[in-house]
Amino acid sequence: MPRTPGWEMLIVWYFFLGGIAGGAYFTAVIADAFGSLRDRPVARVGYFLSLPLVAACGILLILDLGVPTRFLNMLRVFKFWDPMSIGAWALGVFGLFAFASSVLSLSPSDAHAALRRKIGLVGIFFGFFLAAYTGVLLSNSAQPLWSDSRLMGALFLASGASTGMAAISLIMFLVGASAGEGWQKVKHADRFSMIFELVVLALFLILLGSAAGPLVSGRVAPLFWGGLVGVGLIVPLAIEFVAHRVKALGAIAAVLVLCGGFVLRYVMLMSIQA
Amino acid sequence: MARTLAMFTDTSLCIGCRACQVACKQWNELGQELPEWTGTYQNHHHFTDKTFRLVRFVEEPTPGGDLAWLLMSDVCKHCAQAGCLDACPTGAIYRTEYGTVNINQDVCNGCRYCVSACPFGVVSFNRETGTARKCTFCNDRIHNGLGPACAKACPTESIQFGFRDDLAARAQKRVETLRAMGFKDAQLYGADSKGFLGGLNAFFLLLSKPEKYNLPSDPKVPQRHVVVDSLLSIGSAIAVGLGALFAFRNRGDGNA
Repeated sequence: MPRTPGWEMLIVWYFFLGGIAGGAYFTAVIADAFGSLRDRPVARVGYFLSLPLVAACGILLILDLGVPTRFLNMLRVFKFWDPMSIGAWALGVFGLFAFASSVLSLSPSDAHAALRRKIGLVGIFFGFFLAAYTGVLLSNSAQPLWSDSRLMGALFLASGASTGMAAISLIMFLVGASAGEGWQKVKHADRFSMIFELVVLALFLILLGSAAGPLVSGRVAPLFWGGLVGVGLIVPLAIEFVAHRVKALGAIAAVLVLCGGFVLRYVMLMSIQA
Repeated sequence: MARTLAMFTDTSLCIGCRACQVACKQWNELGQELPEWTGTYQNHHHFTDKTFRLVRFVEEPTPGGDLAWLLMSDVCKHCAQAGCLDACPTGAIYRTEYGTVNINQDVCNGCRYCVSACPFGVVSFNRETGTARKCTFCNDRIHNGLGPACAKACPTESIQFGFRDDLAARAQKRVETLRAMGFKDAQLYGADSKGFLGGLNAFFLLLSKPEKYNLPSDPKVPQRHVVVDSLLSIGSAIAVGLGALFAFRNRGDGNA
């Protein structure tokens, strides 16, 4: 019978932070390329957030290797059908985009802004990829639950969006950039992402059927229902809809969404691993 | 490519002596491990990073109320469609010219995706070397004209080594003989190169259902859903992207 790979807390953190990095980046690009000038703070926070996070992702992945000094061996081959192989490549390429976008955000020049938007429109694909591929990686293994989940990638992407947007809104609140229209817009986008995530999660469970046992009734079930569905999605959505005019509550909702994103990765990885 | 080599393990001939398990340990210098209590003579429960050949002792109730043994010397299947090989992002896992699957210990960086991808739970992570380990089909021996150590040591020819096509024909005859003798559940596992995983280069003759031996009845290629899962992820990206686009395009007041 299949043996679990022993991907534990380092990988939980990687999946979580990688989702935020990807989600923050693609949100930033959309705000940058399609928003107004007043949405610039959203773009800037998103770019600046994605850069340290992608660096942290690389470090976490390297530390998790059995032989960390051989991490460059990941780039010996390119297997387009293998999530682990293209994931390693895409993480590196995404890092370059996050770096370029962040550097160009520092410049006040219009020419640099135009270049940044063009770069962003290419980099956005790597942002989406980074948020989703970890789910596809799990679902293409021989493990029960993981390999039965057709929507793992879609769910991770939705969570990457909701947590990436929550992280942007939280940072804007903390640095006092929540007065403008941009903050409202990113909160608006985050509400949509959370609702979408709930829908995907429901479909995910329906498609899994009895294979969802380890999640919905196993050891991690209290975390799944309480931490992810309750505290991580329903409570922050309720806060957003009932009390969205109170900014401090909006910030608390963002913290809860981030907690939910972490719990999602934790329960997916740990439910079938000892 | 040279003619494909194979191992045929005929469990009807196994006497549970574990000469294969010991020969494997010795030839491959696999070192000592703490034993595990499994409730039977079997040790260990499953393959480990230092146990590449494992004799399974399955106790089966007989109609008379006694227990009878199903014995089976289990090993890496060297699948024609190997999940571990497809999963490996470093190219450390490769197929030899004889059709066997091997892990280059100097290249493996210990990401463990192969461990998660093996339908049989064969590949194991070694904490000391930081690499994934499994049966090498005695790669050094077969490249020097010798059979694998396990097959060499087997005193009953339960483990046979040779060219795959020869062994598959021999296995087919043997299973027919056993069925004629009254072993109704006698069946080949992985001998058919048109069957699951494109056939196994280490295949088996079993006396009962695969599940009895802790083998999946219908193992599947782990990467078979990459395209569907990716398309669904793209759909998710489009939905989320449109949501964000809508939010940033419309000068929403936050109530929407």
